[in-house]
Amino acid sequence: MSLKSLDPRITREGLPEEPDNTPVENIHHWTTFEVFHQTKKGDRHIHVGSVHAPNHEMAYILAKEQFARRADCVSLWIVKTSDVYQTNYRDEDMYENNQEKMYREAGGYKVMERINKYRKEHSK
Amino acid sequence: MYGGGYIFEETKNGERTVEDPKRLEDFEARIQAGEKIEPMDWMPAEYRKQLIRMIEQHAHSEIIGALPEGTWITRAPGFRRKLALMAKVQDEVGHAQLLYSAAETLGKPREMMINDLITGKSKYSNVFNYPAVTWADTAVIAWLIDAGAIINQVANSKGSYGPYCRALERICMEESFHLKYGHDNVVFLATGTPKQREMVQDALNRWWKPIMHFFGPSDKISVHTETLMRWKVKMASNDDMRQKFLDMYVPKIWELGLSIPDQKLKKNEDTGIWDYTEPDWEEFKRVINGDGPCNKERLAVRRRAEEKGEWVRKALMRNAEEYTIPLS
Amino acid sequence: MAEDNKDAIRNLIFRIADDQLIIGHRNSEWTGLGPILEEDIAFSSMAQDKLGHALALYTLLHEIGEKDPDTLAFNREEKDYVCCHFVEYPIGEYDFSLMRHFLFDSSEALRFGMLAESSFEPLAKIARKFRGELRYHTMHADTWIKQLGSANEESRARMQSALNECMPLALGIFEPSDYELALQNEGIFPGEKFLQDAWIDHITPILNAGELRMPDVGNCTPSYGGRAGFHTEFLKPLIDEMSEVYKIDPKAEW
Repeated sequence: MSLKSLDPRITREGLPEEPDNTPVENIHHWTTFEVFHQTKKGDRHIHVGSVHAPNHEMAYILAKEQFARRADCVSLWIVKTSDVYQTNYRDEDMYENNQEKMYREAGGYKVMERINKYRKEHSK
Repeated sequence: MYGGGYIFEETKNGERTVEDPKRLEDFEARIQAGEKIEPMDWMPAEYRKQLIRMIEQHAHSEIIGALPEGTWITRAPGFRRKLALMAKVQDEVGHAQLLYSAAETLGKPREMMINDLITGKSKYSNVFNYPAVTWADTAVIAWLIDAGAIINQVANSKGSYGPYCRALERICMEESFHLKYGHDNVVFLATGTPKQREMVQDALNRWWKPIMHFFGPSDKISVHTETLMRWKVKMASNDDMRQKFLDMYVPKIWELGLSIPDQKLKKNEDTGIWDYTEPDWEEFKRVINGDGPCNKERLAVRRRAEEKGEWVRKALMRNAEEYTIPLS
Repeated sequence: MAEDNKDAIRNLIFRIADDQLIIGHRNSEWTGLGPILEEDIAFSSMAQDKLGHALALYTLLHEIGEKDPDTLAFNREEKDYVCCHFVEYPIGEYDFSLMRHFLFDSSEALRFGMLAESSFEPLAKIARKFRGELRYHTMHADTWIKQLGSANEESRARMQSALNECMPLALGIFEPSDYELALQNEGIFPGEKFLQDAWIDHITPILNAGELRMPDVGNCTPSYGGRAGFHTEFLKPLIDEMSEVYKIDPKAEW
């Protein structure tokens, strides 16, 4: 006897009535690809997730519907995860910006005071 | 869609990893300050373990959750419903894909999680062990189970683990379509012919119990729970979520003239708290441990799907790269 | 449109619409049960597209005097459907479903490409609208066929045997109608024979790239009859299942 389901699709499968609890043999893992998505030309590509696939071509056709079926999209980039060079958060302090680097900020240049002083001294 | 109250396992004292107190302190301070934790960050072993368990259960709930509604995918009446139901079930599969990725960033490969699902080692939301008996059941599921899921997911999206929050952000967006679709479907049935009305009332009667079970039993207040809340893994109490659900949806059910099969259900105007008949938690435990109306079928179906894909995965392995954990 | 072309046009649209409906329905059976998560999503999208195409075409039929799209799809007699046998077959294993997807969608993309130039503008407009969707469908199908056709011994054998099984059925797509000449003369559609030739030219190099052998078409007996309302044993149960809820009360709004 096979499993009778309320779902006709499943009844057609002819599944065994008694469950099988054995682990799946020979698990095959495809690798992962990172997906970057561009909403419209002129925008940047933004990382939106990853897919499992055996190669770039397959990754692309699989990513297209998972990441562009709802959102507006004009282009996808697909990058093999292992090709992404990641920095470590242990190095977070390396990215801190020190206040004294005002010489490269717009706010580091305030000349109005000097101009006003000059005008005051030279006006009669 | 998803599911439900948090079901965490207590870790036995002997199994607990002793963490470096300084690192633990920094970690907790960062969470306290509202920072997110990313895959490459240091994290306590217990945090990693409980997160894998939670996100994995969530992912399983999406893929198994596609089955009760999928029961009616070949029978949806009319183009509008047929297309919408397909899109909704497709979204659930998409959510599973996003969530498995989020869990993978913590170090457990997808196929291993799926293996744990189909061997019964890993759980999923209890509600999906109940059958969708008629078309109206799919309407009630899409509306009310998804409504419950949104309450849970919105809370979780404010949690501490970056990849999970990002997945939930997109999931919550899609859930709003599910909720609208489900409500629309219930409204058409409730305001339709007497036969349609009867169908939807029957479905609601069937699903009320699983819905009340959905958020899980009252949380035991334990050191364990407190730690998970401090780490922003558990974001709301099961009772609070259930109350919020009742507050938002009971009036919407009543306005359609539908009745809810619980004589005691009433809002206490003084406290603002809903009184209800305590759900049968023995049944809840029984079902979660495998003895529900559809447990066997759900797992057999996922096993078959895996088996059917086996030759495809194997064939394309030939030139494939070695598996890598995704970035986020 | 000229009155005498009306039957020819109506028959043409019904054939395409019924194909789209039945293949869309069949392929939707994989939704939530697909063999690979990402592929489950992709395959469901394409099934949805097919049903969308069917809806657009039934809507056009409604505009030229037929019943409403839901009635046309869900509430006709089996003999009134004019889909080909190929789309009626159960989904089988994934090799069969993928091969059918490849063979059917190639013909569909070519057909819609020809219809985009049709002198019957409402149909041409629909054909142009679906061009982008069909490009993805064929890219998806071509990629799978090429990759599985050349992956390992098992996948090549499976795909070859699916191809052999599908070919007579696929040739049934091009069953000529009674209106071939009228459609050609009026510039509405260049005809099934023309489409079949273009299709064979199109699929052969893709199959070869996947190391699959194109069966000898001359030796295949095309599975004809569907276009005249004679169907396989699979269609009636499909229609009954599809319309089970709808027929609880066809007058109800669902």
